[in-house]
Amino acid sequence: MNVAETTIVGKRYPLLRERLSHDIERFRKFTAVLIKNRLAFAGIVIIALFTVMSFGAPLLVGPYPSQLQRTTDNLPPSSAHWLGTDWEGFDILTLLVYGGQISLIIGFSASIVAMVLGTLVGVVGGFYGGITDLILARMTDFFLVIPWLPFVLVLVIILTPSLATIILAIAIVSWPSTARVIRSQVLTVKERQFIERSRAIGARPSFIVRKHIIPNVMPLVWAEAVLTVSNSVFTEAFLSFFGLGASGPDVIRSWGVLVNESYIHLALVQGHWWYFGPPGLFITVVVLGFAMLGYGLEEVMNPALKRR
Amino acid sequence: MNFRRYLLRKAVYVIITIFFIASLNFLLFQVIAGDPTYVLLPRGCGTSNVTGECPLRAQLIHEWALDQPLIVRFVTYLRNVFSGNLGTSITYQTGVPVATIIAPRLSTTLILVGVATAATMWLGIILGRISGWRRGRPADVIITLSTLFGYSMPSFWVSLLLIFSLSVSVRIFPVYWDFGAYARMDLLSAVLDYIWHLILPVATFIITNVAWFSLTLRNSLTDVLPEDYMITARAKGLSQGQQLRWHALPNARLPLVTASALYFGWVVSGAIVIEIVFTIQGLGQLTWEATTSFDFPLLSAIFLIATIGVVVANAVADVLYMFLDPRVREA
Repeated sequence: MNVAETTIVGKRYPLLRERLSHDIERFRKFTAVLIKNRLAFAGIVIIALFTVMSFGAPLLVGPYPSQLQRTTDNLPPSSAHWLGTDWEGFDILTLLVYGGQISLIIGFSASIVAMVLGTLVGVVGGFYGGITDLILARMTDFFLVIPWLPFVLVLVIILTPSLATIILAIAIVSWPSTARVIRSQVLTVKERQFIERSRAIGARPSFIVRKHIIPNVMPLVWAEAVLTVSNSVFTEAFLSFFGLGASGPDVIRSWGVLVNESYIHLALVQGHWWYFGPPGLFITVVVLGFAMLGYGLEEVMNPALKRR
Repeated sequence: MNFRRYLLRKAVYVIITIFFIASLNFLLFQVIAGDPTYVLLPRGCGTSNVTGECPLRAQLIHEWALDQPLIVRFVTYLRNVFSGNLGTSITYQTGVPVATIIAPRLSTTLILVGVATAATMWLGIILGRISGWRRGRPADVIITLSTLFGYSMPSFWVSLLLIFSLSVSVRIFPVYWDFGAYARMDLLSAVLDYIWHLILPVATFIITNVAWFSLTLRNSLTDVLPEDYMITARAKGLSQGQQLRWHALPNARLPLVTASALYFGWVVSGAIVIEIVFTIQGLGQLTWEATTSFDFPLLSAIFLIATIGVVVANAVADVLYMFLDPRVREA
């Protein structure tokens, strides 16, 4: 038997286990801090509740109502329909419980796309500097000052509304703030000594970006991502209110679409508060939940913001 | 220090930024609009001649200078923008200069946004002062939570709730705003009517945005309170109110200036929803109408005006900041 090989193999496993346990330990500490942060914890609870509710909808309220399951339209709340029925005769409570799926899917996907874009622009601009940075920073500023709501409306109308285009449009208006935050973080990380040492040993820029810059800005990216989910859910609600939500006979209606439909079908004048009230409240609470988790994360990860 | 030189540098910076914005705006609408002739001729054209060409389309292309190379159009665009020519509407009010359409709308929106900003700021300062001064106490918790909740509410929903409760259930405020009626009114009743109509929209702005100012002031007060001069103020026997008014607030107020400039940009976006729900004939409603009718020159001009407005507001805030902060002023 080859002695050298056994040592290597023998060494490799403990090393791996050690690393893993180190990661687990770090994760455990992180969650402990996060839970201790009351803001973040409340946010997590809200998000968990609404995620379970929306995606557990088939178990809670049965299958999504098909066109065949319509009853009388515009019924007031009763024991059969706790929140009444909508203009087509669907149970509002059922629509409400399902509605979160669309809002959350759009929120998460748009946030992911925006994070990739924003981090890319922020890291490239911040790390390489010079003319690249100048152009990217100016572009970021332009997208920051352009009125976001008209812009996203125009984008969706031009691209024709669907799930994918809504996600894309929201991502296009959301990346600049991330890019800006990441860029400034990259600028400070870049000046740290270990980067210079790494450069002195002969590491290539691409290696430094991958191994040093990205891992160091990642925590901030996570905090930004959560805040962007909050903004995306918010923006989706506005788009839907303008009649630009993903729609169709078999498409699940988001909360924003519900408010829009109630508005179009005059629930306001008829005093049907159970129609337009609850979806708006759900949007508010989910947006608030993600915002709370985001601020909490920022507080945990950014020592400069720690409570005094 | 040289205040004049600072102003000059700022002005040059603003002009360069506007140049950049105009360029990016031009490029953006090149991408968005695609072939704008399709807006007027969605199904090709009725009177195509024998060769299958469309003379109307060719004429439009020539008239809108789409046959010119991009760089020529770009230079023309910049020259027009800087000489105040914003273009001509193509669908909304075909042939009318965009500036003529925008001008009356702009003033309505500026009044709305101006009143809303002033009111939001006023309430934000009051609330922020209370919660910053009583940090961690029940008053602070209640204010912070409720303003954050308001901040998370979509403005369309808030306006629906307000209309439902104060215009439909209890008929205090009007639902519909008839701008044509002012021609028949005398000045006093017109002004009163205007104010009466403004209350709910402004309330919507306040509810959804007061956190902007109250949290800014709260956080900057928190930064200021542990400072040495605050301890001195307490040590020399000033009352709580005097400490707050004479020493804490003047120092904590500065970030509000920056916040209000940022807020201006936000409000420009927010106006579109509120103007539609409350039927206010302002720039926001116009934006929506321009969007749905694919009137690209009009839309492009609105975007340009709004972005330039935000840039100028930020520059003014910077100058004001400089003017208000002796540390920056003297440096």
